[in-house]
Amino acid sequence: MKEIKENIIQRIKANFADAAEKNDFKDNRVDFSVKKETIPSILFYLKDEMGFIHLSHISCVDWLEEGELEVVFIVWSPKDKIKVFVRTRLDRDNPVMDNVDMIWRQANTYEREMREMFGVQFTGLVAPEEFLLEDWQGPPPFRRDFDTAAYAEKTFWHRPGREDAQDVRETIANRDGEEIPDFAKKYSR
Amino acid sequence: MREKATTLYIGPQHPGITGNMMVKVQVEGDTIVKARTEVGYLHRAFEKLQERRNWLQSFTLLCRFCVPEPDPVEESYARAVELLEGREVPERAKYIRVLMLELARIGSYMLWYGGQNGSLGLYTMGQWSVGDRNYILDLFEELTGGRVYHMYIWPGGVRRDLPEGFAEKVLRTMDYLEKRLKDYDDLMFDNTIFQKRTQGVGIISKEKAVEWGVVGPVLRGSGIKSDIRIDDPYEVYDKLDFIVPTHEGGDIWSRALVRRQEIRQSIRIIRQVIEQMPSGEYYNRIPNPHKWALPKGDAYARTEATRGEVGMYIVSDGGVHPRRIHFRGAAYVHGITLLEDLLIGENVADISAIMNSLGTCPPEIER
Repeated sequence: MKEIKENIIQRIKANFADAAEKNDFKDNRVDFSVKKETIPSILFYLKDEMGFIHLSHISCVDWLEEGELEVVFIVWSPKDKIKVFVRTRLDRDNPVMDNVDMIWRQANTYEREMREMFGVQFTGLVAPEEFLLEDWQGPPPFRRDFDTAAYAEKTFWHRPGREDAQDVRETIANRDGEEIPDFAKKYSR
Repeated sequence: MREKATTLYIGPQHPGITGNMMVKVQVEGDTIVKARTEVGYLHRAFEKLQERRNWLQSFTLLCRFCVPEPDPVEESYARAVELLEGREVPERAKYIRVLMLELARIGSYMLWYGGQNGSLGLYTMGQWSVGDRNYILDLFEELTGGRVYHMYIWPGGVRRDLPEGFAEKVLRTMDYLEKRLKDYDDLMFDNTIFQKRTQGVGIISKEKAVEWGVVGPVLRGSGIKSDIRIDDPYEVYDKLDFIVPTHEGGDIWSRALVRRQEIRQSIRIIRQVIEQMPSGEYYNRIPNPHKWALPKGDAYARTEATRGEVGMYIVSDGGVHPRRIHFRGAAYVHGITLLEDLLIGENVADISAIMNSLGTCPPEIER
């Protein structure tokens, strides 16, 4: 496995000068970081020339403190039994990159979700605007600075009788003047 | 004369759909000319909620990603955490995990038997197979305390050891199910209605299956031998003897045949697991979960579920809470791009049968 990994790294480094590799994993994994402009060409190369025909996953991670979004592609080669991670960083304020759904059709779905949830714009992506969120006007909700609790507080309302978010037993007891039974007191807030 | 196109909304509530999802189809007569999957009825932002929890607290959400088969999701998460942390898992725990996964596989296929036949109007099958699935749920209940959601596989091993006499019970259940499968064949595969409704319907060619990222029994139903248990072995699958069935047709019928054989292979695996299971520790204790920080980095672990490849991508920033947890479900690929394309040219009555044969699980699409 070690030779196969070395071979993959050599071939990628020879063709993509900006690829920075990481190869200290115990399992069958190799990791490359590239500039965002290189993404389509490195993925094309991995698929067509090196046998990484299966796209396992695309994910996006918000590194709020560093002001960047990281997009990670995980591809798998059934021949070499190796998974390769290809990652790139985007500016959080202007996250634009090329789409890759011409390489793998299913990437289209991932890109639609990322566009909605993280605000990543894929140039050339042909897909309907709405995927999961209907009529959404706010900021991308999966970013770290989107406060889910505050949004829920603002948008939704408590069930009548639960405005104080108290234990329902207490609310009923106060309303009806009933005493909370002893066994229930320890569960009551 | 060209017939007028009509738009039909299949879903969000529909017997062919194992969750709330809608397929909007345009039909000319009975033939579908355009299909679009509409999701968004089910999104619970599990992945976002998990960012506020510690590494262990995620389990209550994980098992709800796909209700019929929660164990592969738990296993892939547990294994991703172990990969990231470098935590060793005792050998016995690995065997118990395989036992759980294979029991879950059979249970999930039993539910599929019901769904696939129900989508064709053959309801007896579902009553039989869901009834028999209860015997597996009984085993789960005894082992984990939960029938459907188990939260049993966790980082470092499993939550408790097998109770006394459990292995014998599993073997007895397997003997019973093996006998039962013959009845299933009589009712389902020898049934002319099932044959006529599934042969040559929803065909995925070999080339298309690779091109569109198809996984699992659907890929094997198109004649490609691919199984993560063999290709990228995890736990102790490399020590077990089983075959990966494939069929060439690429239609619903071939996918059904693949699943039929996989149940038999799962029974075979379970018997081997019980025979080979070593004694010893079943859990490598984790530190206090509230103070348990994982090293900075990321990991991706994937598991073969009944729907195909499920995977868990986890990212840690070195803290006690995850930076990001991203689940990859097979339905995410099958239920949208593939389904939309596959339905074109098919009869409107076959929509739910095709969906079921792809293993579409909407909660997996919107986590």
